[in-house]
Amino acid sequence: MELIDKLSILADAAKYDASCASSGAPKRSSRGKAGLGSSNGMGICHSFTPDGRCVSLLKVLLTNFCLFDCQYCVNRRSSNVPRARFTPEEVVRLTLSFYRRNTISGLFLSSGIIRSSDYTMEQLIQVAKLLRETYQFRGYIHLKAIPEADPRLLEEAGRYADRLSANIELPTLTSLKTLAPEKELGTIHSAMGYMRQRIDAANDNAERDAKRLPRSANPKRMAPTYAPGGQSTQMIVGADATDDRTILQSAQHLYRDFRLKRVYYSAFSPIPERPAGLPQAAPPLLREHRLYQADFLIRGYGFQAEELLNAPGNLDLEIDPKLSWALAHRDDFPVDLNRAEPAMIARIPGIGLRSVQRLVDLRRLRRIRYQDLVALRCRLETLRPFVVTQDYRPADAQRDSTRLRQSLTQPQPAQMALW
Amino acid sequence: MANASMGPTSSAAWANDFDEWRTQARRLLHLGAPPASVTWHDGNASHDDLFSSREPPSMPPGSPPAPIRIGRDQLTLLRNVARYRVEGHDPPRWPLLYRVLWRWAQGDAAAMHPADVDGRVLHQRWHAVKREAHHMHAFLRFHRRDDGRGERYLAWFEPAHDVLDLGAEHFADRMGGSRWIIATPRGGVRWDGSALDYRTPCPKDWTDQARTAAEHANADEEHALWRTYFVSTFNPARLNHRVMTQHMPQRFWRHLSEGDLIPVMEAKARHGGQRLAQESSVGQRKGKALPGGRSALSRSSSGDDG
Ligand code: SF4
Repeated sequence: MELIDKLSILADAAKYDASCASSGAPKRSSRGKAGLGSSNGMGICHSFTPDGRCVSLLKVLLTNFCLFDCQYCVNRRSSNVPRARFTPEEVVRLTLSFYRRNTISGLFLSSGIIRSSDYTMEQLIQVAKLLRETYQFRGYIHLKAIPEADPRLLEEAGRYADRLSANIELPTLTSLKTLAPEKELGTIHSAMGYMRQRIDAANDNAERDAKRLPRSANPKRMAPTYAPGGQSTQMIVGADATDDRTILQSAQHLYRDFRLKRVYYSAFSPIPERPAGLPQAAPPLLREHRLYQADFLIRGYGFQAEELLNAPGNLDLEIDPKLSWALAHRDDFPVDLNRAEPAMIARIPGIGLRSVQRLVDLRRLRRIRYQDLVALRCRLETLRPFVVTQDYRPADAQRDSTRLRQSLTQPQPAQMALW
Repeated sequence: MANASMGPTSSAAWANDFDEWRTQARRLLHLGAPPASVTWHDGNASHDDLFSSREPPSMPPGSPPAPIRIGRDQLTLLRNVARYRVEGHDPPRWPLLYRVLWRWAQGDAAAMHPADVDGRVLHQRWHAVKREAHHMHAFLRFHRRDDGRGERYLAWFEPAHDVLDLGAEHFADRMGGSRWIIATPRGGVRWDGSALDYRTPCPKDWTDQARTAAEHANADEEHALWRTYFVSTFNPARLNHRVMTQHMPQRFWRHLSEGDLIPVMEAKARHGGQRLAQESSVGQRKGKALPGGRSALSRSSSGDDG
């Protein structure tokens, strides 16, 4: 099979993984050196496909042959899809060629399970090793960690990769049992636990080195790095009946227990020859969007999953989770921007984290006025009932939440379109 | 530019770039020239301001100016704001920067805050400049065109602000020993593997080569692989035109090697392909379900055709 045909099959097979981030890598440069590639911590989206998703990495499977039969997956062994397999050299060739033309910032390599988990993991490592050692490639590498693989292999993978990810795929033990009977939650967790330990240890060493050694110190004495971009995972949304509260609680556990950098949510897209019991409907994109918003509130704003959803159920599709929380907690509002703790300002709907910082900076210089919120481009229609400034008190502070909600949702039906 | 209301103390200053502006601004500030009294000229246009002397007046002898303290962050802000290309009725850059600096020197620290009437403009411009530098890092495309010395890459890019050097630094880090040229409508830059060579205006020869390379992207066969990848990684079931154009403005499509594919992919997705996530050409290939179950894991061969 020609390389171009393999590429079309194995890129198609890999697109169900939502992650394409190339951020979080340490600073590397190839200036004046042999080899190719740099990273500076910032991700770059080199293109956007018409689904609005960022193309940052060459995201392919090494092969879509697979021994497993995960029901939601297009590559499951019972699926009647065209199959292909790259050689490690072919993946290297594509990566370097795309990288030089500036269409990608690195590689995200995953694979179906062939022969054995160890064999599959070894193949992935082989590609990363070729790139890093033979071609001195300093761009981004994200490798899929096969949870069943020997820890020795996870150890090796982390030395070449910027990021590792083991996908949890389904948020509960029960759904995993039904839809991916060959996967085991325990195994996935222990792989994540192992990686966390290694990432933490490498970070500690790096900190110690930074304190002890001058910058120009012998690089050989530097602590060996391990997946400096951290680990991430993915959960499929809408393949079964699991609700958002369960999904967010599960994500919250993953963040706490394994210090994941990111949990990705992937709205289940209909696949060819769908097994019985899986939805045929269009992917629930708005639901996925709300989950990302809620996830961001948990990671960045100090919210708990249980605050955002205090009973079993799904996030409100009509309004964003922060506004929804504020409407349910009217007693905490309005918030005086000249007095409140930054953490409380961050809870005001319509004010983002960057504006919080700017408001705190500003009130050291002078009192905050309503006009400042205009200048900072905060979402005025949303925040109006929730803030107090030197020259402003909301007239609708007393209005009940149901009516307030109506007034906040009515004028912008267009915003309810797909994200 | 002659302005009868300006008193004899009014001055004029010329600057082509930030460093020139900085020198002038420093002198004017030490002279205590308030912003309203200074007429700034940008670029090399000829000047005949009868009421101002060509050179700003020199320092009064025997009074060494007190140094003006400005933080590194503030300096970075001002320097990057100067990269913003002003259009239409937007306030020109030098008077804006000088007014801010003046206010800052008077102790008005809010002048550079994004909620301030001037600071707001600064931050909007800085944001636009950062965004454009990022666009250059992301959407510039190199085309391989070897010359007598071997492997070489060419790119044509049309930045909306003065970010060529920011892009060049980035690509020097990224491309290592590979040689390249980036040509733009204003300047150009060449990397020979060890040093950057900037030229303004961009030499015609560079422009011609880079534009030709971009217009005949398929002369570089590897672009066919990239185009195939772009089509295959797209999920037709998630079609979302608005988000795509929000992140990748249409003005860049023309110079992307995949740009012309976008409308075709969208049309196809709308007409039926949107039901599945799979790319339709992949669905048309012959499929292969595999034997085996979990026990197959312990066997050594199944599902692996090499
Ligand atoms: S292990 Fe499951 S999810 Fe992974 S490729 Fe195989 S069938 Fe798909």
